[in-house]
Amino acid sequence: MLSLFRIIKFSFQDIARNVWLSIATITILLLALFSINTLMTVRVISDSASKAVQEKIDISLYIKPETPEADIMALKSKIESSPRVKNIVYISKESALANFRDKYKNNQEVLAALKELGRNPLSPSLTIIPSNFSESNLLINELKMLDSQIIESRDFADNAIILNKINSITDRVNEVGLFIIAIFILTSLLVVYNTVRVAIYTHRQEIEIMRLVGASYSFIYLPYVVSAFVYTLLSIMIIIAIFYPFLTLLQPYLEVFFMGYNVNILSYFISNFWQVFGLQFLVILAINIFASLFAVRRYAKV
Amino acid sequence: MITIKNASKAYGKQAKVLDDINLSIDPGEFVSIVGQSGAGKTTLVKILIGEERVDSGQVIAGDWDITKISRREIPYLRRQIGVIFQDFKLLPKKTLAENVAFALEVSGGTPAKINKIVPSVMKIVGLDDKKGRYPNEVSGGEKQRAAIARALVHQPKILLADEPTGNLDAINANEIIDLLLRINKFGTTVILVTHNKEIVNYLNRRVVTMEHGRIISDQEKGKYLL
Ligand SMILES: Nc1ncnc2c1ncn2[C@@H]1O[C@H](COP(=O)(O)OP(=O)(O)OP(=O)(O)O)[C@@H](O)[C@H]1O
Ligand SMILES: [Mg+2]
Repeated sequence: MLSLFRIIKFSFQDIARNVWLSIATITILLLALFSINTLMTVRVISDSASKAVQEKIDISLYIKPETPEADIMALKSKIESSPRVKNIVYISKESALANFRDKYKNNQEVLAALKELGRNPLSPSLTIIPSNFSESNLLINELKMLDSQIIESRDFADNAIILNKINSITDRVNEVGLFIIAIFILTSLLVVYNTVRVAIYTHRQEIEIMRLVGASYSFIYLPYVVSAFVYTLLSIMIIIAIFYPFLTLLQPYLEVFFMGYNVNILSYFISNFWQVFGLQFLVILAINIFASLFAVRRYAKV
Repeated sequence: MITIKNASKAYGKQAKVLDDINLSIDPGEFVSIVGQSGAGKTTLVKILIGEERVDSGQVIAGDWDITKISRREIPYLRRQIGVIFQDFKLLPKKTLAENVAFALEVSGGTPAKINKIVPSVMKIVGLDDKKGRYPNEVSGGEKQRAAIARALVHQPKILLADEPTGNLDAINANEIIDLLLRINKFGTTVILVTHNKEIVNYLNRRVVTMEHGRIISDQEKGKYLL
């Protein structure tokens, strides 16, 4: 009990007496954490953007209004047989109208115009979900070549553009990004490791004296473990305090950029709080402690 | 108190630094170890505090067979063998009294024990009026006395002094030697490594002379030979 208290006292004394070194250590930890989290943000954005677009993709074929249902079903099963198709949904004239009414239920003008018309102006359609989104271009080509008298129009032009854009972003993030992220994280961790070692290098005299006067090993090692804990906890708390406002500022821009799509970076970090920051805390703490013990051992020769 | 039998030591693949050393020191003795630079004196001191190991032979100090000592036991060995050096090894950011108290704190001494022992050892070395000074505010002799006070906090049976007067002028050096003599009178075995001819001759005690890692002479009431 006395020892534990004294170990914590030594640690806090040390942090306070070498306040600039402590600040430098925390700053390095913060920089490492900030770059890790920024890279994570980029990844989360590109991932969720690509998912959001994928969810929204519908490749639709509009059928001539007077086509008998049997012909539509024949076309449906023909398309369904392609391996590039995961699912195909038939939307009849009637359900198209119901959807339309629902969509514009707050818009009296549109509903009035519809009434004026006196008949159902909508076409039945087939909505196709590709089995593999990165290959939807091929599917679209396939559908473009599809020769059928009953097809009125094909709607997939703008999807293809967005999809290409998103695909090229995610591909790049996945290929180059992962590699860079790995290198970057490794570098930050190495910097952290070295900072801790330098900090302990400045204590080599104290460690030597402790050894000479017969200090217990717990007094030589444990204050550094406590300091490592304090530094890590402080820097994680600071990064959280910096990062959430940063995300809050970023979110409106994302919403503008990905208008109409569900890309919410803030809610990702909130709902994955413990996985994200808990894991970072553990990893940084482990490196910190490992570096401390390794460095002390070197100067203590024990 | 100390028995060294056929001890040899080499650093890595270099020539032997200690070559078949045999030495026996009784409790309460005051022994000077002299020899030219590189003779292996400091190495001998390091072996006695468990910082270096012999390659062969046996070293016993007090209750400890140092050749067999485990890593875990070294702190306890060092509480029984006080040691001081030419460069004092005081922490600059602590006062003299804090430096002395530090030795007790890091070995788990209770506050009551610290409050009792620190003033008494400060008194023994004659520093009770300079307790609150920092090392850079006192003379070399006073720094060495603080270091001696620190070495005494565990009431060691053996005090090793590796050139304690090397950085001091003659007057300060004599004061330190007189202090060591006084500590020896209380019953502590003192081993003094020194280059100083005047001191050795003044002491007129046992002198062990080393050369190239060997003991070349061992005299009661000896004089400085080299
Ligand atoms: N850590 C070490 N690694 C390699 N060689 C060493 C080491 N320490 C000492 N030596 C060598 O061992 C020999 C004896 O060194 P030691 O320090 O014991 O001498 P010394 O008698 O104390 O000399 P001095 O009077 O100059 O203090 C020297 O040749 C020295 O270079
Ligand atoms: Mg020496």
